[in-house]
Amino acid sequence: MSVDRVPIATTNKMMRLMMEYYLGAKAAEGTSQKIAWVTSGAPVELLYAAGIIPIYPENHAALCGAQKMAVELCEAAEERGFSRDVCSYARTDFGAIYTGKSPVQGLPKPDLLVCCNNICGTVTKWYQNLQRHFGVPLLYIDTPFVHDSATPAMLEYVRAQMEDTLRALETFTGKTITAEKLRETLELAAEATRLWDETLDLLAHKPSPMTSFDTFVHIAPIVVMRGTDKCVDYYQALLAEMKQRVEKGIAAVPGEQYRLGWDNLPVWFKMAGLSKRFAGHKACLVAATYASAWALPIDAAAPDPLAECARAYLTVYINCGLEERIRTLERMIEKYSLDGMVMHSDRSCKAYSLGQYELSRQLREKLNVPVLILEADMNDSRVYAEEQVNTRIDAFMEMLAARKAGCRP
Amino acid sequence: MTFSGVEGLAPFEAVCAEPLALPRRMAAGGRRVAGHMCTYTPEELLHAAGMAPVRLLGWTDTTHRADGLIQAYACSLARAVLDLALSGQLDFLDTMVFSHTCDTIQNLADIWKLNLPGMDVITLSTPVDVGSPHAVRFYRSELARARRQLETRVGPISDGAIVDAIDLYSTHRAEMRRLYAMRREHPGLIGASAVQTVALASFVMPRDEHLELLRQLVGELSRVKSNGPASSVPRVFVAGAACQQPDLLEVIEEAECVVVGDDLCTGERGFSVERVDAGDPLESLARMYLGRRPCASKHLAGHNYAKWLLNTSRDSGADGVVLLFTKFCDPWAFEYPGLRAEFDAAGVPLLLLEVEQHMPPTAQFETRVAAFAEIVGAARKERQG
Repeated sequence: MSVDRVPIATTNKMMRLMMEYYLGAKAAEGTSQKIAWVTSGAPVELLYAAGIIPIYPENHAALCGAQKMAVELCEAAEERGFSRDVCSYARTDFGAIYTGKSPVQGLPKPDLLVCCNNICGTVTKWYQNLQRHFGVPLLYIDTPFVHDSATPAMLEYVRAQMEDTLRALETFTGKTITAEKLRETLELAAEATRLWDETLDLLAHKPSPMTSFDTFVHIAPIVVMRGTDKCVDYYQALLAEMKQRVEKGIAAVPGEQYRLGWDNLPVWFKMAGLSKRFAGHKACLVAATYASAWALPIDAAAPDPLAECARAYLTVYINCGLEERIRTLERMIEKYSLDGMVMHSDRSCKAYSLGQYELSRQLREKLNVPVLILEADMNDSRVYAEEQVNTRIDAFMEMLAARKAGCRP
Repeated sequence: MTFSGVEGLAPFEAVCAEPLALPRRMAAGGRRVAGHMCTYTPEELLHAAGMAPVRLLGWTDTTHRADGLIQAYACSLARAVLDLALSGQLDFLDTMVFSHTCDTIQNLADIWKLNLPGMDVITLSTPVDVGSPHAVRFYRSELARARRQLETRVGPISDGAIVDAIDLYSTHRAEMRRLYAMRREHPGLIGASAVQTVALASFVMPRDEHLELLRQLVGELSRVKSNGPASSVPRVFVAGAACQQPDLLEVIEEAECVVVGDDLCTGERGFSVERVDAGDPLESLARMYLGRRPCASKHLAGHNYAKWLLNTSRDSGADGVVLLFTKFCDPWAFEYPGLRAEFDAAGVPLLLLEVEQHMPPTAQFETRVAAFAEIVGAARKERQG
């Protein structure tokens, strides 16, 4: 058996798809085609049903991060008064707005902004700033934080706002969104979501056909194109390839010995380096709370599809309390046979990160699962201490090796 | 401008000298004490439950216990209050209430729940979109949920008791607003650090006792014949999240500036809740809190904070604005670029001062305030021609 990594063929298809998406949106700028900038946790199905092109500043920021352009852009935002301590995605995007620099020729200007706070409070402030900058309407969907369980009043509150959003989109475009069109879009989203979920399930196979680092790359279409047939096509292709890899026994990390989980956003500017570092220890990252976040279970056939949307978007992982997060991690550890958990304490994302110390304590004490906490940032490489991170990864892997040796005398 | 010589201030200063002593004594005397960290917390409901609400600030000079549970990039308010709790100094609390504020406080609530099992924790998912047409209805349901949770502990809470509490708290806030109006209308009559001490005392004192002392103070001040400071003395407005340290405001006064108004949650913003009578007391509370001056962590469609602050500070007669920025406070950090653009365009001085809530003013803070005082002084001279 070859020890070389077998590249994922579908990656090229994804790159083409995303480039088409960005260039297509850019070409629509200034035409009658409406463009909305939206947060990554917003119910994009409503926008596709309304015939509006959604643009994701967060995805764009990640792209800038992966292309190592983020620091320059962050600095441009900092010159305008953005604190170095706020979200580096926001800084990256404001920097791109101010300088016009971008790996995809810049984002087309928005006609509309749609913000849903189910991923953090930062987006509230981010989109208020965008509104001041662009002077276009802002639709806001407030999803109360679910500390314990989603109450009927919470669901009703979010559903009412979804309904308002739908009506506002109709007014905005001057076109009615029929119930049929909405259902059709939700079905497409549900189908893509199901395919994505099934693909992630395959990572439970030993050896895993892809790593979480791969899923971070292949996540882009499910985030930005949920509700389109292109998205469904893409995930059919990806799933087919992964099934094939499982059948052929192709391992993402040849000689996989350790299976790890990942919590929080990726470190976009260090994806290759981190992937290699773990692979060097025969460790494969096979599960990530971040990748599963877009596996939204929406039953498009339910009698009230908006209520389905409300429930799905209200109860995303990051809008739920720590006790729910622990339950999710427990299930993940079991399902993917994890030997340990890597938690990225992301300086830029308080919503995701604060609480990780408690989660890690519970994983260690209650489940006897070792946890490695890496202090880093998703886009700002200036706060990344490379040697320190590498040393900690090496020490963690040595500890896992000793544990394994101890378990199997 | 330093200020002294008002007798009515002494009792507030005594309470603030050791802020936790009074609530600890109340708890020892059998009173249930409920802590919270945000002025969106409906204290009326806690009062109606027979509890003594206490707004906690980071009264500690160390956060080493909290550092094991929460990252250093959480704000000092969150870290210091958590540390205070972990140190055992808040053991007297019967209940802790978290009203949704920001990403940090929302996660702190869960960390608290899992690490301080001795007290009942109530979380209120207070709406962020305070102007949403559906917010009142939803927030009312959250208040009803909190009421039911409190009732499992203290027994039935009557509508009448909530109405009485609304009455007391509304009267008290109106009196606080009278004090702020005096500061605005008669610059120099009472110093900002003194006003801040009065406000801080209200966070830990029984509200009726505070009201009584406050009325005496307002009465005393209304009898003072003051010509105020020379018209050349610059007037300053202070904005930001919380201000735990009256000392910070004293530095501004010692730099020969007079504070004429603020937008702080430990100041005028926190006391901006106005009485509403909607019939149903929970709906009244929902309307009162959603209709108050919004915190930076909220969303209110059409509200342009930079313009609001520019106009409000001008209306207060201020020559410039000091933004007390708590390090790692995202909601306020995101306000700054807009503020700077607005104030630069208007030619009004704006100073961003980074603070740690639990720490006294640094030498650098003093230097920057002194430099700013010269700038606002010059701006005032120019305005006066």
